[in-house]
Amino acid sequence: MANIFPRWSNLLPLKIAVCAGSAAAGVALAFTYYATPKTLTVGYQPSQPIPFSHKIHVDQVGLDCRYCHSFVEVSGHSNVPGGNTCWNCHQHVQRESPKLAPLHKSMNPAFPGYDGKPIEWVRVHKSPDFVYFNHSAHVNRGVSCQSCHGDVHKMEVVWQDQPHSMGWCLDCHRAPENALRPLEEVYNFNYGDADVLKYTKDQGVKTTKDLGLKLKEQFQVNPKKSCATCHH
Amino acid sequence: MSKRIWHHPEVPADETTVSWRSAGQLEDTPAFREWLDREFPQGAAEMADESDAETSRRSFLKLMGASTALAGFGTAACRRPESYIVPYTKAPEWIIPGKATYYASSMPRATGATPLVVTTFEGRPTKLAPNKLHPDAEGTDAFAQASVLDLYSPSRSRQILKSGKPAKRAELDAAIAAIATDKSAKIGFLFGADDSPTRKRLAKDISAKFPAAKFYQYEALTGEAPVVLGDGVKLVADFAKADRILALDCDFAGTDPQGPVTPFFDRRKPEGKAYDHKPDAAKMNRLYAVEAAFSLTGGMADHRLRVAASQVALVAARIARELAVPGIVESPEITDSKQVAWIKAMAADLKSNAGKSMVLAGSRQSPAVHQIALAINLALENIGEGKALLALQTEVTGLGSLAALKKDIESGGIDTLFLLTPSNPIYDAPADLDFAGLLAKVKTSIHLSDRTNATAFASTWHIPAAHYLESWSDARSARGTYTVVQPMILPLYPNCVSELEILSALLSDDGKLLDGEGDKEAPSPAYDQVRKTFAALGGEDLSAWKKLLRDGFLADSSYPLATPVASPLAAGSFAAAPVKDALEVIFATDASVYDGRWIDNAWLQEAPDPISKLTWDNAALIAPKTAKELGIYDLIIEPEPVSTILGVESKYADVGPDGEGENRKQPMIQVTVNGRTLEIPVLVSFGQAENTLIIPLGYGQAFDKDDELGRKPANQSHVGLVGINRGFNAYPLRGSATTYFTTGATVELTDKRYSVALVQEHSAMYGRALAREVSTIESDDEKGDFKAQLANVKKQGNDSHAPPNVYLYKPLGSAKWNPGKDGKAQPHLNDPLHQWAMAIDLSACMGCNSCLVACQAENNIPIVGKEQVAKGREMHWIRMDRYFAAQKDNTFDPDNPALVPQPVACVHCESAPCETVCPVNATVHTEDGLNAMAYNRCIGTRYCANNCPYKARRFNFFDYNKRNPLIKHNLYKGPLGEKTVGDADHLQKNPNVTVRMRGVMEKCTYCVQRLKDSVIRQKRGQKQEALVAGKASTEMEVTTKTLRIPVDSVKTACQEACPADAITFGNLLDGDKSALVRSKHIERNYDLLNYIGTRPRTSYLARVKNPNPDMPDARFIGKATIHMV
Repeated sequence: MANIFPRWSNLLPLKIAVCAGSAAAGVALAFTYYATPKTLTVGYQPSQPIPFSHKIHVDQVGLDCRYCHSFVEVSGHSNVPGGNTCWNCHQHVQRESPKLAPLHKSMNPAFPGYDGKPIEWVRVHKSPDFVYFNHSAHVNRGVSCQSCHGDVHKMEVVWQDQPHSMGWCLDCHRAPENALRPLEEVYNFNYGDADVLKYTKDQGVKTTKDLGLKLKEQFQVNPKKSCATCHH
Repeated sequence: MSKRIWHHPEVPADETTVSWRSAGQLEDTPAFREWLDREFPQGAAEMADESDAETSRRSFLKLMGASTALAGFGTAACRRPESYIVPYTKAPEWIIPGKATYYASSMPRATGATPLVVTTFEGRPTKLAPNKLHPDAEGTDAFAQASVLDLYSPSRSRQILKSGKPAKRAELDAAIAAIATDKSAKIGFLFGADDSPTRKRLAKDISAKFPAAKFYQYEALTGEAPVVLGDGVKLVADFAKADRILALDCDFAGTDPQGPVTPFFDRRKPEGKAYDHKPDAAKMNRLYAVEAAFSLTGGMADHRLRVAASQVALVAARIARELAVPGIVESPEITDSKQVAWIKAMAADLKSNAGKSMVLAGSRQSPAVHQIALAINLALENIGEGKALLALQTEVTGLGSLAALKKDIESGGIDTLFLLTPSNPIYDAPADLDFAGLLAKVKTSIHLSDRTNATAFASTWHIPAAHYLESWSDARSARGTYTVVQPMILPLYPNCVSELEILSALLSDDGKLLDGEGDKEAPSPAYDQVRKTFAALGGEDLSAWKKLLRDGFLADSSYPLATPVASPLAAGSFAAAPVKDALEVIFATDASVYDGRWIDNAWLQEAPDPISKLTWDNAALIAPKTAKELGIYDLIIEPEPVSTILGVESKYADVGPDGEGENRKQPMIQVTVNGRTLEIPVLVSFGQAENTLIIPLGYGQAFDKDDELGRKPANQSHVGLVGINRGFNAYPLRGSATTYFTTGATVELTDKRYSVALVQEHSAMYGRALAREVSTIESDDEKGDFKAQLANVKKQGNDSHAPPNVYLYKPLGSAKWNPGKDGKAQPHLNDPLHQWAMAIDLSACMGCNSCLVACQAENNIPIVGKEQVAKGREMHWIRMDRYFAAQKDNTFDPDNPALVPQPVACVHCESAPCETVCPVNATVHTEDGLNAMAYNRCIGTRYCANNCPYKARRFNFFDYNKRNPLIKHNLYKGPLGEKTVGDADHLQKNPNVTVRMRGVMEKCTYCVQRLKDSVIRQKRGQKQEALVAGKASTEMEVTTKTLRIPVDSVKTACQEACPADAITFGNLLDGDKSALVRSKHIERNYDLLNYIGTRPRTSYLARVKNPNPDMPDARFIGKATIHMV
């Protein structure tokens, strides 16, 4: 019987296996790099119906986070303000700005095209449905907005600053001292090492992290790492 | 290595208790063996026939190919879809997004409103809990718990019907206006048996406006006790004051409430309701029950006598004679000397506790029984202020009966009829009244209901009713406290109106019918009417009204006392005992559908009947001995081994007779009584009186082409997917004189069989001394007196001789990921603030399913449908085990076993067998002692369920939450199946609990969402403390007191709902201040399967029976310790 397969084909299966293997490994590597929250969600910066600038409102005007996100201290969900919160000021301030047309549409009955329907803000930060993150549990124990949302006070348009992945959550739950602040500083976006001395007479405590370590002890902060902390 | 099988030691030869769950086990059929050995029946996961196999391997591959191809397109858009946050334009006060808001309301019912606290999320009611502030507070039963589902029911009526056809609102408005403007209209109103002060007031106004108006009352199963007591008079029990209770066919703990029942159960605990004093048998009450078949009350009884329903009057008369009660005519003598001995000893006990005892007559029993019970209570001076029984004058007076309505219609006194009763008279009125014919004689009939039931189609008009969570009203609770019914939400569908809104429309000048939306800026007219009623009772003050809305009730507003008088007994009150050839048929109130009104409630349908453990259907129940005499016992016990291979029926198919598996088919009998017949499957019922047949009412309302027995499609639009093809309708067998029971029935076996979804053998556990029982009296064997028996609780069963558990494994965590302060590994259970635990008191548990349904509501547990239940795939996190136990040497009545319920959910073992076998760490322990389940990690190997000795884990074989399991074959169609999402019932879901998908294991979490919420709320206090002290947070000391939640302040859903307070939950670190910790320290406390060393966090408290030593059956009581081997 003649040889159907030529000699060179002997190594063919091996070659195919090696190629396929490296291709698969490449895909896996690419996936682990690209398809993680670190690259997929950080930097997500959708445009909003009203180009609301946190920079103007927080940095220039000096509004506290809780003026608009009023329930962050009592609820798991940090609410986006209702139309009436915006309208409180904007029926007087910058009333005629064309950027506020959607607000007028929803709040101002005198406005042509008024429909009274709420503004649909585009969601920037989204936890999956099976994650129960609770804002009040964090801000009432010394974790600042800034730790998870970045320098919002400098953002013209809000983007996602941190990956909000489970590993990222756990990093902090394992070492909460990196994020802990005195409760008075939770909403202060300019908190830094200079502020530390206000809260301690201990000369050894110089950085925010030093103070964090001290507060962890004092506040008895013992973040849970088990699944049911966030998944139920 | 093969799996090591734990061999439980044999039951010692001197063990006198025989315990069983089902007839199959008692007879030790191979089928039951299989249930014990396996998690699921053999073949349950396989496809039974061609029709199920619509997803064959071929089509599966096709689908897979298609979806892979689609996935390719999908990758083009990696970015998650844009989603939106839509805040309110004008944020309403009190609504905080993400936080529940609680309101006080109540559920109106015939036996007195159930005071409730309603949980709402962003205005959406999701969960009901009892209002513990209310003077008539008790738990909530399964009906109350499940009623929230009715609000969202997809089959809810939402369309106005005229003569059964959809009609426009304007037409109805015109019809109502025509009636309202005609002051000479001869209107009749048929109300339910609940008491609403506003309705009463409006009825009075209507009488004034329409002089010819007449008022009637009808509910199918409320009985006619007031006939004896006087118009509108009722007896309400105050169980806290009753030392001795005799229940004459009265299921006061279940379907026949006689007053708040929690105090009764408080006195079943020898250590007191808070477990805070030494066990004292003298403080316990004693319950005697006389009944035909086991009820929940009968199961709790210390002494239980089984007699046919017709014989209860005879027993009552004999008791009266024993007590020398005046006015009771001579009754025939009871021939059974054992029964006479029982009655004599019992009567002596009642007599020696005169003034502190009560005799309760079942509300559906004959007037004679009520007369005798009243005479006994009066003679023993049990009625009156400060006594165990209160006679109260309710406001439900001056209402005619159905018979009076018939007379008035026939005489032409009524030509317009408003049917406002929650019952369904076309379906459930006594057959001889011919209500359908009667209704046809009325010129205009207007029917209000939340279901398009039989009466809806027979009436001229049907108006969809607003749910009680959508409407303003008021009600009286059991003892008459004025209780508000406030809406949580506007009616979900337009056109839904409430009873008060209809009455208001009739009273208005133009007769304009307004619904919950009200008129322009004004609220619903019902709101104005309720406020007006309240102003007369509680004052005009706005603050009083606000207090009513906050508390839910008006204090000190109970009914005034009445003084009922005993009346002489009519002759002919006693019937002969039933015999084999002339059986007695008892039309029982069903624990799932009540009188049929809950037939479309899926939670109730899937909740197993507490006694028979039957789901989704009804069946005739018969005592084993009677069944043997009739020659059908063997057929019932050995289900026909029929299964199909490729559509061919075969007795030798692979899928064998798996006990209660999908192939369980019960034989059907034909019952002939009163000249009518009914074909119905039959089940054996232990402890039932001989020669009786129990048929629960309320089923068989509608059928379609999918009916298993091929019954003619009928009334398809009367029910939804839940209620279609369910069970058998026994109402046609009833006459006006035989609403509760009838005699002279004959039974014939048919060759038909009907599949039943019984769960009594599902998840049967192995083990010795699972449920433990002791008695308060000196035992005649070596068990000793009460004290000795209590001391021995922990040593019952294997624990008497098994060596103490030794733990070689050190429960330490990882030093790398979770180091302690010293950098070393710390124990797993390292939370210094909270360590959760639970105790379940079997002495108080009656097995009523309230916890089971509450858990379903709280934790988004899906229903799975009858076929899946039959395969053992029900998802209830709490399994309500029900055992029977008899004493081998019982010479008094060997066929009257003890009934022992035992709820079993995940017991949160500290060394949990499930955790060690999970390959993906999806089930792990938390620091505070929970056995947590991370659904998104679970890959569905089911190893954990296999390794759980308590069989407490449930697996989502299908996407029950998304795919409607009630559509035939729908689950097997995979992605092509019909979805349920969007059918409104998803609105009931608790937003704080993940909705699980297919392939995920789930189980009790101790309501972890509630625990987390309470702990987080407590932590907020740190900031408050600093603010109050006016200091910087860094200067404040944070102590355990700041961070630990107040003692016993968090309740699990089951605990909250339990009407018996049988469940205690709390923090083990709270010390003796916590009822939970106290209950863990009493002698009755034991761990289930202690000897396998799982260290469960849920422990049980042994059941205590308080028998009377003088009773002939006393020495067989209090020994029902359950062994399953």
